[in-house]
Amino acid sequence: MSKPYNPSPVDNPSRLKRRSWPETQIVKFIGRHTPKCTEVVRILSQGMDQKLTLKTRLLLNMHYLICRWCQRYSEHLRYLRKFSRRFPEQISTLDVFTMPASAKDRIKRKVGESAGKTL
Amino acid sequence: MEPASRPVHAEVPAAKIDPRSWVDEHGDCLYRYALVRVRTPEVAEDLVQETLLVAVRSQDKFAGRSSERSWLVGILKNKVVDYYRKLGRETSFTDLEFLKDECSHKFVEQGFWNHELGPHEWRPEADEVMHKGEFWQTMRDCLSKLPQRVADVFMMREMDEVPSKELCRTLNISESNLWVMLHRARMALRECLEINWFDRVNPPKGR
Repeated sequence: MSKPYNPSPVDNPSRLKRRSWPETQIVKFIGRHTPKCTEVVRILSQGMDQKLTLKTRLLLNMHYLICRWCQRYSEHLRYLRKFSRRFPEQISTLDVFTMPASAKDRIKRKVGESAGKTL
Repeated sequence: MEPASRPVHAEVPAAKIDPRSWVDEHGDCLYRYALVRVRTPEVAEDLVQETLLVAVRSQDKFAGRSSERSWLVGILKNKVVDYYRKLGRETSFTDLEFLKDECSHKFVEQGFWNHELGPHEWRPEADEVMHKGEFWQTMRDCLSKLPQRVADVFMMREMDEVPSKELCRTLNISESNLWVMLHRARMALRECLEINWFDRVNPPKGR
């Protein structure tokens, strides 16, 4: 069956890991008292849309100490926002983003007809 | 007095502008705006056409308060929102499957990341990446993999910065529904960019 979970093992990239007995105790304590990663990713997404409470933010920061993965995830969400904001101007340099000539002609005709009626 | 220093359209009577010139002057810009958001060329063309037809009718109301282009984009913006709204509230089966997916394979039983599958370090930095044309193509491909509805919600929120409350009202969805959609969209998009761009450019060493 599954092995008992071992948060922040020695060779992982998180700040706090199990290098010594006291450190292991801190890691375990944080693991027990902060939200699980499945929960953290949900909270982080919500945090992109509304302000999180001070308590939640503190818990997240504690969690990051033993979980570099969630910390990366939060960095990535901020990047996603940055990318999305820049996306429209960047993508429009691609060729497919020019209106086909046939569509232009058609629209011109329609607009011309409509303008003729109102003038 | 000579209106030389003023914007031309502010002085020219509205009726003298030939609306057909809009197609050449602003057509591509409007088309891009629409295509990025609705993703189907035919729909984008239709939206541009509708926009210009509305513009023809309301021409005299446009008294040169803003530039011609931002006036037209403003009309198009509303057209796009109308389009989203008309798409309806129904969530298709594939959307439901997508929304239900908790990505549980990425986490161990106890709810922590499976360290082998957790997020990688993104190198090069995002700011460098943004100068690369191929990156934006990858971004587009990843967006197009999202279910239509989810992508719409994500883009309205992140690209057009529509506040969440307004978004819920426009699309007539509950706030909790919105959180779920955004969360799944972010999760999927993050992973897609990681696999198809960051890991490719800079293969992960160990973890």
